[in-house]
Amino acid sequence: MTINNCIGNTLMKSNRSILYTLLCLLFLSPVAMASEPDIDEIVNKANLAAYYAGEDGRAEVTMTITDNQKRKRLRQFIILRKDKKDGGEQFFYVYFKKPSDVRKMVFMVHKHLDRDDDRWLYLPALDLVKRIAAADKRTSFVGSNYLYEDVSGRGINEDTHELVKTDDQYYVLKNVPKDPDSVEFSSYTVWIDKKTFLPMKTEYIDKNGQKYRIVEVLETQQIDGHPTVTISKATDLAGGNATTAVFQAIKYDINLKGEIFSERYLRRPPREIRR
Amino acid sequence: MQLDRTMIQFSIRKPGLMTSLMVTMTLILGVLILRVHVDTDPENMLSEKEMVRIFHDRTKKEFNLHDVVVLGVVNEKDKDGVFNPETLTKIYQLSRFAAGLADSGDPERKVIGRDIIAPDNVDIIEQAGLGQVRFQWLMNKPPTTRKEALHIRDKALDNPLLKGTMIAEDGRALAMYLPISRKDFAHSLSKQLKKKIEELGADNDRFYITGLPVAEDTFGKEMFIQMAISAPLAMLMIFLLMLVFFKKIPLIISPMIIAVCTVISTMGLLIGTGNTLHIMSSMIPIFIMPIAVVDSIHILSEFFDEYQKTKDKKKTIEQVMHHLFKPMLFTSLTSAAGFASLSFTPIPPVQAFGLFVAIGIMLAWLLTILFIPAYVMLMKEKSLENFGAAEHVDPVTDRSLINRHLRWIGRTSVGRPWLVISFNLVVMVIGIIGILMIQVNDNPVKWFHKSHDIRIADKILNQHFGGTYEAYLVLSGSGEEQGPAKAAQWLSSTLSKSLKSSPVILAKALAEISEAVAENPSGRKMAKQLSLSWQQEIDKLAPEDDAGYEAWSQALDTLDRLRNQKQIFKRPDLLNYIIGLQNFLAAQGDVGKSNSIADVVQKVHQELFEGDSDHFTIPATANGVAQTLISYQNSHKPDDLWHLVTPDYTRANLWLQLRSGDNKDMERVIDDVNRYLTEKKPPSKLKAEWAGLTYINVAWQNKMVTGMLKSFLSSFVVVFIMMAILFRSLLWGLLAMIPLTFTITIIYGVIGLIGKDYDMPVAVLSSLTLGLAVDFAIHFLQRSRATMARFGDWSRTAHEMFEEPARAIARNTIVISLGFTPLLFAPLIPYQTVGVFLASIMLYSGLATLWMLPALLTVLQGRVFKNTIKPTNAVTQQEQEKKP
Repeated sequence: MTINNCIGNTLMKSNRSILYTLLCLLFLSPVAMASEPDIDEIVNKANLAAYYAGEDGRAEVTMTITDNQKRKRLRQFIILRKDKKDGGEQFFYVYFKKPSDVRKMVFMVHKHLDRDDDRWLYLPALDLVKRIAAADKRTSFVGSNYLYEDVSGRGINEDTHELVKTDDQYYVLKNVPKDPDSVEFSSYTVWIDKKTFLPMKTEYIDKNGQKYRIVEVLETQQIDGHPTVTISKATDLAGGNATTAVFQAIKYDINLKGEIFSERYLRRPPREIRR
Repeated sequence: MQLDRTMIQFSIRKPGLMTSLMVTMTLILGVLILRVHVDTDPENMLSEKEMVRIFHDRTKKEFNLHDVVVLGVVNEKDKDGVFNPETLTKIYQLSRFAAGLADSGDPERKVIGRDIIAPDNVDIIEQAGLGQVRFQWLMNKPPTTRKEALHIRDKALDNPLLKGTMIAEDGRALAMYLPISRKDFAHSLSKQLKKKIEELGADNDRFYITGLPVAEDTFGKEMFIQMAISAPLAMLMIFLLMLVFFKKIPLIISPMIIAVCTVISTMGLLIGTGNTLHIMSSMIPIFIMPIAVVDSIHILSEFFDEYQKTKDKKKTIEQVMHHLFKPMLFTSLTSAAGFASLSFTPIPPVQAFGLFVAIGIMLAWLLTILFIPAYVMLMKEKSLENFGAAEHVDPVTDRSLINRHLRWIGRTSVGRPWLVISFNLVVMVIGIIGILMIQVNDNPVKWFHKSHDIRIADKILNQHFGGTYEAYLVLSGSGEEQGPAKAAQWLSSTLSKSLKSSPVILAKALAEISEAVAENPSGRKMAKQLSLSWQQEIDKLAPEDDAGYEAWSQALDTLDRLRNQKQIFKRPDLLNYIIGLQNFLAAQGDVGKSNSIADVVQKVHQELFEGDSDHFTIPATANGVAQTLISYQNSHKPDDLWHLVTPDYTRANLWLQLRSGDNKDMERVIDDVNRYLTEKKPPSKLKAEWAGLTYINVAWQNKMVTGMLKSFLSSFVVVFIMMAILFRSLLWGLLAMIPLTFTITIIYGVIGLIGKDYDMPVAVLSSLTLGLAVDFAIHFLQRSRATMARFGDWSRTAHEMFEEPARAIARNTIVISLGFTPLLFAPLIPYQTVGVFLASIMLYSGLATLWMLPALLTVLQGRVFKNTIKPTNAVTQQEQEKKP
């Protein structure tokens, strides 16, 4: 399940399915209103809310990585997303503006559900397009405290989910990986907003039972009708580092052409990244 | 002297009160010892405010470095070494086990799990087929087949950052580096690891634990045990020897009581005043004990000889105390001065050591003066009945071994003074030659005996790997700042070429440049301002204006080159320079392995280009380097980069692994680096600074050597002045300095000749030499002068001197030198060193005193006894002093 990923979040919006759910909640029978959704439904909705808002989207992201010595590093990029199908395959195109010596660098992902994603990296200074194997998605996203999996979403079938608590605000889900060797955590717990289904906080527990990582949403806004994460933060508790991601100029449903997300466009960025 | 009379009389009249006072003081101060805090960290040899240490701490923080415990695994039985599924499984389990270890009492003392270097916790970049690269854990889970195990080996060997560090260059052994938050967790970690290893079963695998933190922390633990065994053993030995000389247990108990009270009180004072128990201060009891018994032995020795003549203990002790008060005061003052001079060294533990030994010496003197008479008074006359009888035979016919030898020495030195003098001059010359050969060197690992686990681990692991001793060379620079005019000129000319096809944009850019020059004090500020403005230009462009976008992008790129000049460690020329330095150091032999940002860049660059070894190079441009590095940061552990460079790329850390922790080897590496930096000018100005435990040890050693030398010379002068005052003669003062000068020259000469390293204990011993060697000379000269005053004839005096006074000195020499032989059996080398040299110093200084002083006095008798030779004066003076 892809719970939570903030970057993903921002890109998407509440998807239609959320709206649909809301409509149902508003207009259907009181019995339906009173009943809590079952766990699969929560997981699904959270996945859609976090990663599939709108048909496509664009955002300008500023990541500030602050290490345990309070030293700051900046990553600024434009991110374009297009969904092939809600909850299914999607494309990401990430164009870097800062640091200035990596300007024009592009990272592109074709997200698949039935196999490993395809990932490309274009390094302009080396004039090199490189494919990066995505078997292990729990690697850092350009040195920040976000992982690739945070950006594109963790497959909802990779964990077993358990609803451990429901309160006024959140569904709290505990998630245990089905293949523990493939990840560095033993479990993670997600707080899903009951209204928006956005995962608001995720806490990761390491194999020694220690909480070591938190990804949390600091600010959301309603954009084009989609509840959208505008500030999020990933904290590495053990290392004392944290990355804050601020999402600006967010737009949904801008009719991105599918061809943008092809190797051809790595060397020559599409105009869409400029606006 | 009024003071001596008052003190001695007090002791004689109120022996019970005196004794209870002393016991009370000892008990009160002794209680303070319970507050002991042990500190064996050699880092604390330097003051916390010392620049070297501040920089070391800053470097550790800046690059997230920690002290490291090394756990090596070797398997000589398996054909693949440790790269078989069973051993790798154990390694995996050990690494996971270690990652979670922390002190239950203080969770801040722990293993830094994320920074462990072990197969399961290192990330590698590799080819993943179809032109793909992949970041993956080297050993995500233990292998189950030989093929998988060998794959892990090959991947590790293929990684320049791991080869020689984590994996032996021959691919047969493996080392895990376990970073710890505090050095004093090392011993506990090592114990827990050993337990776990036992649990897993070693089979054919051999596990070795080493690293400076383990050595240092373990030393602290063993030192404690050592102290608890050696000091009492030494005391027992002294006791037995005194028993041989004086026979009467009740009497010889008294020096032991004084030694115990002095040691307990001094240690109580030391700990009570908030000092830690450091390796130096742990030796305080061993230093104080001989000095504390020396005075008592002089008193007893004389009491022993005199008592039978008077059979009146009060009168005898009064007379003896009166005789010895002055020499004892002065010997104590000079010894104390010698040690107190150590408080001028720049090394805090040595300061504390010197100061408290000095305090202990004066305390021992005070207790001796106050307690020994009281003790004698408390003894029943009856128990003294046969006291000294065995010795009280006619001195002329007494043929005991000691006496025969002493008389022989006396006859030689008085009879053939020139022979003795020239012989000693020859020895002196040899000593000087030896001193010139002295090698200053130390290595905490070598504080353990060769058969100690740590020494064995050290030897084996340093055979297999690049080295378990770490030093960090921090290179820093910020490039040359360009003035705005020069920067503008470069910018304009570069843009004029690249923007030829967009004349409108070029014109606009050039115009903005000329405006910006005037407004900005520096090239970088100007570039920043232009950058903001041009970014706005880009944002204003129409979506279809691709040419405009392209042109402004180019302009921004050009600006960035200007703005990023400060990030010198992205510059290809500098990275290649570092590679040159690394290769140079590797060729010199002391550095077994070095790791730098340049290694990372080369390796990633190679993998980006299909693993082609022709691309094991630094990219041609700074942006190429930056993009290589950002690719690297897509790994599991992107922050590993910041162990090697700061995020602003102005400081780089060259992590050097040395196979030896000898200070002399580290010093050679420092020289090599300096030579390289001077002979091959770096492309941008670089500052080189050092950190790391191996370097810290060199830093404090240098301070210690110069500090000790200075303190020794100053105390030499102070003692000489005191001697001149005591004897009211420069010539006599000089004479008093002769035995100790010879002793020091010869002892240190021997150290040089036999190739024993001049290390910490050896350095400290110089002050002991000064303190003890001068004692004998004072006693001998003072008594010679007094005796001469009585007889007015040198040969009669000399004859007399080789009876009781010489016996006292000889007894002292033997008691103390043999008393410290138990230290020779200590498993910790510094204690052995102290034992051997204490014994040698005592022996030689006793010998030098008895041998050279009479020879010199014989030769110089006309001058030195010019005044005392008038018998009338001397006798009058003597008589007056004798009046009660």
